[in-house]
Amino acid sequence: MIKLNNITKIYDINKNNSITAVKDINLHIKDGDLIILKGASGSGKSTILSLIAGLCKPTEGEVIVDEKGISKLPDHFLSLYRRENIGFVFQKYNLIPNLSVKDNIILPLIPDNPDEDILNTKLQEVMERFTISHKKDIIVRNLSGGEQQRVAICRSMINNPKIIIADEPTANLDEKLSLDFIDILKQLKENGKTIIIATHDPLFFNLDFASKTIDIKNGKIIS
Amino acid sequence: MTINKYLIEYSINSLLRQKSKNTFIIIIFTFLIALITSIFFISNSIKYELNSTIDKLPDITIQKLHGGRIVDIDNSVIENIITIAGVQSTIGRVWGYYYFENAGVNFSIMGIDNFETQYTKSLEKVIDDSTKTDILDNNFMLVGSGVKKILNNNFFTNSFNFISNDGSFKKVKIGGVFKSDIELQSNDMILVSKELAYQILGVDKSKSTDIVVKVSNPKELNTIVNKIKLLYPNTRIITNDDLKVSYESIFDYKSGLFLTLFIISLFTFFIIIYDKTSGLSSSEKTEIGILKALGWKIDDILKEKFYEGFIISFISYILGISIAFIFVYFLHAPLLRDIFEGYSQLKTTFNLPFVIDFQILTLVFFITIPVYISATIIPSWKTATLDADEVIR
Repeated sequence: MIKLNNITKIYDINKNNSITAVKDINLHIKDGDLIILKGASGSGKSTILSLIAGLCKPTEGEVIVDEKGISKLPDHFLSLYRRENIGFVFQKYNLIPNLSVKDNIILPLIPDNPDEDILNTKLQEVMERFTISHKKDIIVRNLSGGEQQRVAICRSMINNPKIIIADEPTANLDEKLSLDFIDILKQLKENGKTIIIATHDPLFFNLDFASKTIDIKNGKIIS
Repeated sequence: MTINKYLIEYSINSLLRQKSKNTFIIIIFTFLIALITSIFFISNSIKYELNSTIDKLPDITIQKLHGGRIVDIDNSVIENIITIAGVQSTIGRVWGYYYFENAGVNFSIMGIDNFETQYTKSLEKVIDDSTKTDILDNNFMLVGSGVKKILNNNFFTNSFNFISNDGSFKKVKIGGVFKSDIELQSNDMILVSKELAYQILGVDKSKSTDIVVKVSNPKELNTIVNKIKLLYPNTRIITNDDLKVSYESIFDYKSGLFLTLFIISLFTFFIIIYDKTSGLSSSEKTEIGILKALGWKIDDILKEKFYEGFIISFISYILGISIAFIFVYFLHAPLLRDIFEGYSQLKTTFNLPFVIDFQILTLVFFITIPVYISATIIPSWKTATLDADEVIR
């Protein structure tokens, strides 16, 4: 269960150009839910994702994940929280362009220094699931947009996280690849993952397997 | 603590991703380490050379002064000084410089007698009894390696024609080359019989250039100096300690020049460091943000940056030390050598003695590697402590 209680996030709070990204947000997400956050660019969707992922801390309010307040966790524990619980698919995928597919996917595992067999098993599993194993040694900058996205999904799944967060995941994809991605989401939901997606792509708005679609405007939930 | 091989692999990959930038840093860093180490190697070798020379210098050297100039001293003085209690031996030396115009260099000519060679152990080492007999009985000379090289270059391979003091030519055969462990002393030297030295240098046979005295007990040195001074007030008496000070002041002058080079090297090094610490590129910052978002802790990121800094600086250190080693001890420090050439009237080249001081290697290690690693880690630490969201944005 993810709870956002009275969350406000102001960027550059002590500066002249401070921006209120979200204001007094309350949101409850149950385990296994697939939530669509929709809204225009700059509406505050990405900030909500960042708050849930522990990538930033709220100015006011509290984020609670599985009964644990993560907002006040020190950086060290926040990193562990992300590593164990969160799989993040970024808008521009945020892959390391000059690394191979394999090297990008294993990035979340590196700090744990896993046994080589365990690492290879996890890698193989995730690459086969998202049909990218044939490109294992290719440098990711040489891949197509859809392939890069699958690498980003593999990377987000390698630690088998409970929560998948995706920020504008289809912004750089054509319609066919976007539909492929939606299929992947369906699979993940069937596997019991909690999924939160920020998007303004209409393809997502009428998904029959989505638990809830939330409209965000000017940092507030409007429906 | 277990070593995380994936983290090391990631660091290597990260360095390879910026191949040209990192190659450039390694080249500059290697050059600076090689320069700093060469300066240390050369200084150390000269110091060793000077210390070896000083150790083998006579305890007391007596020179006669006339109007403030050094003139030849009567041999009768030798007989009087040997009677002073505490004096072990006295030798009248005949030596001087011979200017070889073709090459524009000065050679040091030293006259030796069979029973007088003991004043410097280094010469004893290189001359066996048969060679001594040749030198003393015939028109032979032994030359230092620098002299031999210059004579060969000027086609004097078997003999050399000295212009004596009276203007006549004196043909002397080259009996051989001697080489001692103190090249500063032996390199520009020509050893001839005393008889020949008198002729070439135009010294009166009843006189010597100076007199060297060996004392039995070094603690009595000052007393003996005072006695000589009382006997011969018009002489200049130079003790081993005086020579040591004189040599050291020359060395200090040279080391001042080295220090200048050293400071320039360090200055360049710190400019690189300053440039590195002044910030990361936006792609480097984004990468740190991504790694944080993927669950890397700050210390995971710093460890990775540590490996990057260590790999670069250690490769540069090993290359720099190796280049300095080859540069100084195999190539004889071209260009840098010019700074100390000219010492002791020397224009002939000499090899630096091979002296490896592990303290120097440790010192270079500690003034370069930790500084570079810190310069790699600090800006990354600054970025890693920010919220991942802020960095990625």
